[in-house]
Amino acid sequence: MNCEEFELRGLDVDRADANLLEAAAAAQHAQICARCGGLLESWREVKSDLRLLREATQLDAAPARVEMRLKQELRTRREARVPRRTVVIASWVLAAAAVLVGMVSWATWQRTRHQEVPRYGASVPKADVQSAAMPDKNTLPPGSETSPPVEPKRASSSRHSAAIKEDDAQKFTLLPGSLPSETEEAAIVRVRMQRGALGTLGFPVNQERAGEWILVDLLVGNDGLPQAVRLVR
Amino acid sequence: MKIPDEKQDALLKRAVRGDEQAFLALYQKHQPALYRYALRMTGSPWAAEEIVQEVFLLLIREPQKYEVARGELGAFLFGVARNRVMKHLERTPRELSLDVINADGSAWREPQDPLTPMMIAEKRERIEQVREAVLELSAEFREAVVLCELEEMSYEEAAQACGCPVGTIRSRLHRGRALLLAKLELLRDAPRRASAGAK
Repeated sequence: MNCEEFELRGLDVDRADANLLEAAAAAQHAQICARCGGLLESWREVKSDLRLLREATQLDAAPARVEMRLKQELRTRREARVPRRTVVIASWVLAAAAVLVGMVSWATWQRTRHQEVPRYGASVPKADVQSAAMPDKNTLPPGSETSPPVEPKRASSSRHSAAIKEDDAQKFTLLPGSLPSETEEAAIVRVRMQRGALGTLGFPVNQERAGEWILVDLLVGNDGLPQAVRLVR
Repeated sequence: MKIPDEKQDALLKRAVRGDEQAFLALYQKHQPALYRYALRMTGSPWAAEEIVQEVFLLLIREPQKYEVARGELGAFLFGVARNRVMKHLERTPRELSLDVINADGSAWREPQDPLTPMMIAEKRERIEQVREAVLELSAEFREAVVLCELEEMSYEEAAQACGCPVGTIRSRLHRGRALLLAKLELLRDAPRRASAGAK
């Protein structure tokens, strides 16, 4: 080892992780070279001073106030985290409840809708309603017959049916000589008749098809007389 | 208070969830080395205290910044502390601490040797001289001296801590040693190298 190499690596001679061969070569060079020997001696003194400094500060640690501040921060964050978690959970619960309510409402609406439509078109032979709604046989045109089951929907039965009624009333054609009157207590009666019978109600009829049987809804008033007619498709 | 058998990752998970004991176990394990490093680099107990606090506050506030796959928690904390130290040194490049002896004595601890008052005074003076000499080194040389000579890290460990090649650490340490020798010789008014060389 020469002086240049000694300056680079010679001072590692006392290090625990020093290369043994290099350390031996450095020690040998320090013995024969006064300058490098002096350098090593100086460094060893500095090294001993560094060791003193290390020992003097070996037990140094952050003061207790740092630990206290950190603990305080940890507690603050923990306390802040609990309400935040509660808010998150509450939000999810509310969202789930809203979805549930929505689904129930939709299901209810669907069920109601399915029930209403068949009630409107289906035959529900209620004797009292039918009898009240049944038009006088004499008032029916010849060749027609009531076709039970009929559509005994009383307009006043419910608000919903009133709405339907309103819609229905728009599709009914008033019989000649009839006036649009209060239809709150009117009823719809479905009858089966020959197309030619419409002529007796005052409607023009194609004579070629007069013998066809058709279904007709009659809007029967309180007096039992048909007021309007509607073809059933 | 200590939970020695528990792995640090598990401790960290518990600490993140707010477990104070787990956090304190981590803190007590890592803070002395971080504090010493910061103190030796900055020369200021106040700055070292702030740096240690910032390091652990980061662990509390942004634990996700530590990724287990990228290394040990100690290395991560040291890296954070090192960044803070470097920022501190950038802000105060020429600042030398005036509070060499802290009010509560944290920066200076009297050696427990059975020495005479004269010897204690001499020893104390030597320590102060070497402390000043270390603090006068530029940050990169100082870091090499602090890690390799004061913390007694191997070159590999120091290189890993600084994120640079081993050769760089060797080079910085070589330069740092030379500067330290020169400064101490000047401080002590005893040009040993010269005298040694003249022998």
